[in-house]
Amino acid sequence: MAEENVVMIRNLSKIYQQGEINVTALNNICLDIRKGEFLALMGPSGSGKSTLLHIIAGIDRPTNGQCVVQGIDVTRLNESALADWRNQNVGFVFQTFNLIPVLTAYENVELPLLLTRLGRRERRQLVTTALELVGLADRAGHLPKQLSGGQEQRAAIARALVTDPSLVVADEPTGNLDSQSALEVLAILQALSRSAGKTVILVTHDPKAAAFGSRSIHLEKGELVNGETDLSLLPLQPAKKS
Amino acid sequence: MTVATFIAKNALRNKRRAALTILSVAVSCALLVTLLTLQRELTIPPESEAASLRVIVRNKVSLAQPLPAKQLPILDKIPGIVAVTPFSFFGGNFREETVTSFAQFAVDPVRFQGIIVEGKIVDGAYEAFAKDRNSCLVGADTMKRYGLKVGNRMRFTGTFFPVNLDLKIAAVFQGTVDDRGVFFHHKLLDELMGDPGTVGTWYIRVASAEVANDVIGRVNKAFENTAAEVRAETERAFQMSFISMLGNVKLLIGSISSVVVFTLMLVTVSTMSMAIRERFRELAILKALGYRRGELFSFILAESFGLAAFGAIIGIGGAWAFWTFTDLQKLTRGFLIYFEVTPRIIATGGVVAVLLAIIAAIAPSYAVARMSVVQGLKTLD
Repeated sequence: MAEENVVMIRNLSKIYQQGEINVTALNNICLDIRKGEFLALMGPSGSGKSTLLHIIAGIDRPTNGQCVVQGIDVTRLNESALADWRNQNVGFVFQTFNLIPVLTAYENVELPLLLTRLGRRERRQLVTTALELVGLADRAGHLPKQLSGGQEQRAAIARALVTDPSLVVADEPTGNLDSQSALEVLAILQALSRSAGKTVILVTHDPKAAAFGSRSIHLEKGELVNGETDLSLLPLQPAKKS
Repeated sequence: MTVATFIAKNALRNKRRAALTILSVAVSCALLVTLLTLQRELTIPPESEAASLRVIVRNKVSLAQPLPAKQLPILDKIPGIVAVTPFSFFGGNFREETVTSFAQFAVDPVRFQGIIVEGKIVDGAYEAFAKDRNSCLVGADTMKRYGLKVGNRMRFTGTFFPVNLDLKIAAVFQGTVDDRGVFFHHKLLDELMGDPGTVGTWYIRVASAEVANDVIGRVNKAFENTAAEVRAETERAFQMSFISMLGNVKLLIGSISSVVVFTLMLVTVSTMSMAIRERFRELAILKALGYRRGELFSFILAESFGLAAFGAIIGIGGAWAFWTFTDLQKLTRGFLIYFEVTPRIIATGGVVAVLLAIIAAIAPSYAVARMSVVQGLKTLD
């Protein structure tokens, strides 16, 4: 391998049982994701893209197959070990932001760090850095209800980055944002991949969002289809400030 | 932010609900503590070391039946008896009261001094009481309650006895388990009643606790197969026999206490379940961030415990303060003398609150543990 594969998926399937009916969300997926890649997972609603993302991120388990992330087969880890692994290796960005409403932006970003042995001073440093990276340093003391949608999502990205994970997963992160905020968020994710060397996996149904990635793959009815596009040769999309 | 701050912010996110939960715990704990104290006061009469050396002798048929006064010389000869006095309950009403909560007893003042040895004269003189047949010895609590002084007169309207009393306060005593009583000359009662030659009961002090049972046996035997057979028992047993007339007080109060605790449990479990159910998605996020089941259980338990602890402190502390600083005799019109919220009762209330906090946390914690991250993220707000 010329470049290191951060994620290696082999014969992955996910089948849900709904009464007597079996629903196949993923069918025999094989996929490699390189380090530092910005991969866009595209597909219509119900195609299995979120399911695939969840399995890679360690918040869901496949029915069959293997998923190795940074050399660790996450499908074999127990609940406890998987939780620890997620805390150190994965940053989550969700469509609905999912900030804790009673905590300020600062406190939301600090949440993952409470599980570490870091002292208060060290935590402050990391949180401040993460907030500065997403341009929210002046909003640290604001509650989520005092932030705009775009700012909330940037706070969520800061929370995803604060433990310096190597893998960032984003499930339709621009779904609830206006176009301007969406562009800002996508630019941040792109910068994480290009400049910080993080592996970013973005689930989206929007081709414009997928264009920010270095590669996109398509799922339909739980299967990978042809049409994968390598976007790594395209220039960096400029970030627009608010 | 610390974990404690995070838990506190979650607990107080709905301030109204938190306040109502704390209040319901507080009221229930206060009620529970009051019930436990009432049960204790009703079923365990106050005791003193001196009381353990006293025996009451009554008519075996019924307390209402008198005993012949000529039993006294026989009692004087029984080994182990240090002092014996006639002791007749008068039961009159003081002033315009229809029910007087303090008792009046007719005694032989000279002999009586050898019975209530723990009492101290705090005003007046015992000799003045012993010498004046129309005088009385009054407990300090009654003096205080009615604002009386030595030299004042006390008038009682007879209820059991068809005579009235007009007594002069000669002395005041204090230091017994019940400082409310009024004692007067038995000879005055005999005079007013036309000298019937009877007494209500005999009040005895024995030489030591070891000989008490022996004395009881001898006294019962001395009057066996006579026209007035007796039943001798310790002062405590005598008091307990009155309590048993109330019925199964322990069972009654225990049942009410159980209902209180059960209701409180329903309230706290319901509150915690609601609070956690609203936060399923947030808890799923925490799981996604790396928080384990055990940690989430700790958060939920700490929140439940915090609310219960606050409520318990307010409720138990409030009950203790109320019953400690309230004039209980005035409140209960003399029915209760003591109402001590003991450390054991406080601890019982605390333990109940802690157990409830744990029980309230179990169901929602189980639901959170079973919930997968993906399921939780799909939960609607």
